Amino acid sequence: MPIRVLDPQVVARIAAGEVVERPASVVKELVENSLDAGSSQISVEVRGGGVSLIRVTDNGAGIPPGEVGLAFDRYATSKVENLDDLESISSLGFRGEALPSITAVAQIDMITCAAGDKAGTYLDLRDGAIANRGSQGRSQGTTVTVRNLFRKIPARLKFLKSVATENGHIANVVSQYALAFPEIKFSLFLDERMALRTPGNGRLIDSIVEVYGAEVAENMIELRGEAVAPSPRVAGMVGLPKVSRSGRGYLSFFVNRRWVNSRLLARAVEEAYHGLLMVGKHPVAIINISLPAQEVDVNIHPTKSEVKFGNERAVFSAVHRAVRQALAEQITVPRVEEIAVAYESPSGPTQAFPLPAQVHPASPAPWAPEVPTSSLPVLRVLGQLGNSYIIAEGPDGLYLIDQHAAHERVQFEKIEQQRSRREIEVQGLLEPMTLEVSPRQEAVLRSHYQDLAEFGFAIEPFGDRTFLVRAVPALIYNKDWAGMLRELLDSLSEGDKGDWAEGVAASMACHSAVRAGQTLTDVEMRELVRQLEQAAAPHTCPHGRPTMIHLSSEQLKREFGRT
Amino acid sequence: MKLSCLQENLDRGLNVVGRAVAIRTTLPITNNVLLATDQSRLKLAATNLEMAISCWIGAKVEEEGAITVPARLLSEFISSLPSEKVDIGLSPQTKTLGLKCARFEARISGVDAKDFPPIPKVEEGIATKVEVEALRQGIAHVVFAAATEESRPVLTGVNAEFDGDLLTLAAADGFRLAVYKLPLAQPVSQKTEVIIPARTLAELNRLVAEQEEAVEITVNPDKGQALFRLKDIELVSQLIQGTFPNYAQLIPKSYNTRAVISVADFLRATKTASIFARDGSGIVRLVVAPGGEMTPGKVIVSARSEEIGDDVGEIDATVEGEEAKIAFNGKYLTDVLSVLHEAQVALETTNPSSPGVIRPVGVDNYLHVVMPMFVQW
Repeated sequence: MPIRVLDPQVVARIAAGEVVERPASVVKELVENSLDAGSSQISVEVRGGGVSLIRVTDNGAGIPPGEVGLAFDRYATSKVENLDDLESISSLGFRGEALPSITAVAQIDMITCAAGDKAGTYLDLRDGAIANRGSQGRSQGTTVTVRNLFRKIPARLKFLKSVATENGHIANVVSQYALAFPEIKFSLFLDERMALRTPGNGRLIDSIVEVYGAEVAENMIELRGEAVAPSPRVAGMVGLPKVSRSGRGYLSFFVNRRWVNSRLLARAVEEAYHGLLMVGKHPVAIINISLPAQEVDVNIHPTKSEVKFGNERAVFSAVHRAVRQALAEQITVPRVEEIAVAYESPSGPTQAFPLPAQVHPASPAPWAPEVPTSSLPVLRVLGQLGNSYIIAEGPDGLYLIDQHAAHERVQFEKIEQQRSRREIEVQGLLEPMTLEVSPRQEAVLRSHYQDLAEFGFAIEPFGDRTFLVRAVPALIYNKDWAGMLRELLDSLSEGDKGDWAEGVAASMACHSAVRAGQTLTDVEMRELVRQLEQAAAPHTCPHGRPTMIHLSSEQLKREFGRT
Repeated sequence: MKLSCLQENLDRGLNVVGRAVAIRTTLPITNNVLLATDQSRLKLAATNLEMAISCWIGAKVEEEGAITVPARLLSEFISSLPSEKVDIGLSPQTKTLGLKCARFEARISGVDAKDFPPIPKVEEGIATKVEVEALRQGIAHVVFAAATEESRPVLTGVNAEFDGDLLTLAAADGFRLAVYKLPLAQPVSQKTEVIIPARTLAELNRLVAEQEEAVEITVNPDKGQALFRLKDIELVSQLIQGTFPNYAQLIPKSYNTRAVISVADFLRATKTASIFARDGSGIVRLVVAPGGEMTPGKVIVSARSEEIGDDVGEIDATVEGEEAKIAFNGKYLTDVLSVLHEAQVALETTNPSSPGVIRPVGVDNYLHVVMPMFVQW
């Protein structure tokens, strides 16, 4: 076949494939246009998973009659004028690709009316060309209706999932923008059923109530990023650890209110929750990062769902710090659930005890840079319960401390501290021990035995599936460290190094910690509690389980009917 | 069963066998103590299946019989009685043991003696004798070095090598090794090597404390059990099966630095440093400094703990060789220094990551090898 320039229709369809991946992409493009038009109300109507019909109605600026036709030409936009504008994009759209891309894969009609126009303009496009044009009455704003999406591309149509799945994606897009723009009234109808309606009163929490429900909303705390650094500014809300979710779907990030996917930001948030969530749980977060347009590049992908930051580290630490700080102010010891609810509970949130300002002389651990955390009040040990829990008295009531979890936390921080100072304590083996491993374990160990040196394991390969251990961390020298190594190799895959190191530290902490069922003397208990008081994150063990529960004096009084 | 005996004899006997009573067990009868008439004596026995202790006390037996009763209950009751004659009778139908002493009377429900786990008989095999004092010293010098952690079972025992008229005891936990040689009072017919559980030896050491006669040791032919016979007491222990590490190759053949120091001074300095090392992993640092023409050599013992503080102590020493720096787990040093009776000890080191050797000065039947900890200096 000779080389030739492609037919414009073919070009259009190829290009459309990038922008319009599925019905939700159409919704996204249209909603972004409505937002750029300065609307205060946006209504989305969807039928048949978006394939039959998508209709987006807004009360934005509208398009003057003379420009309507142009809107559907490729690379036609009102949002960018020259090259310099590209450097500082403040609108959501700018490429001039959305409408032409959609017309390439669907039937589309539009009624629009700009301010000051007497009548609106009606436009009907088929196969990318204007089929009908006329005048129609309409108040200011634009309505775009997309029909028969992908009918001409059976392959794409075949790849679409069920109506419910596509509806889910669409609902997610609208929800995300509803969260990003609480001042705008959003409504979403899926097959004539109202799926979402936000009040548009400018309060994020009200949007959260509508999107995630009251239960999540109740447990959201506000980020106050301004205080720390002027740029980038981090704002939004994050959920308390108790409303954690098992997927990352509840992490919403906006950069200058553009909805983006960012692994960097997800990691910043998850690290801020480090040790507060159980394994496999993820936080709820709605975070907007405002920074000068020059410091962020959104022009990476046609759908603009990815962004590049000029200074990734600054963004990462700003988000991490903001979230960690908000959490530190809120996280308290989990309290004992009340047994009886016959008495009226006191209104308003009760803080378990005032958190004293943290004064931590030690150099901070590497995973929580200069972040203030909550500490424990001074506790007086009363005794041991079931050889597993330490009972202690604090300024406000009773504390039950899980001895294993608490010691695990103490040991974990000790390990991380020693490691950060490169002073891990190592005990040599009198006789090197051979460690035989399974083929899978071998693969992991081969790629990581040098990393283990950081923790005090001196291990070297010694023939087939055999390694020689010459030294072990002093912290676990008298424990079953060989068993621990095997367990570790089984539980950890060849994942990235960050996770690995944390896994090793947690595993060492777990193995060196006292067990449940071990009788502790008074001195040992006091020492453990003292060390826990000094821990940076005393409330949870490295796996995220609580180290203690608290029964406040108030609660005790109530339970005994003394109030 | 009907007999009488003296309260103090019964009390002492129950204390002796009490050490072998199982504490946590899935076999409830091992919480019991066996009482059985044995000619003109009363035999008491208890077992935790790893070790069994039997003890005979004088009694006036009127009627033969046997029963088992809860060990702790019986022992506590007997020890609270006045020191007078105790009359013991068994009602065979109800398996109830009746006890009468002065104006106290008690009845204890028992379990049939037939259900009691049989105590292995060790009658033939390799037999020898050891003087009590030598055995006590031998056990004391090595038993602490055995592993308490069970991942390598052979290391939870003490290796005993009987060869001619010499017994070599060795214990190691992977980080240290203790080897003690003592004479046998009666030579063995053939060289034999067994691994005795460290817990058994610790109990044996307590039992022989009140003994004067030499202890008879018999290892049965399949090396499954060993019997230690004392006066009126027999201890039968299961032996640990497996191969003890070839420890001879772990003992350094040479050294670069040798310091001779006072045991008492070294122990005090180590204990003092350990106070500061408590927060970490008990790291005690030693700097061995040779003396000049006019100044004596010294060993500087120090410890430091981030956030807490540090401590430095000095001991005079006769140093041979170059300056040395080495760090040990303080507990390993205090463990060995505490059992030495000699006035002086020699510390031999090669480099900061090779094992150090501790030998009492003036005797050559004991040595202790300790693996150092690797630290930043």
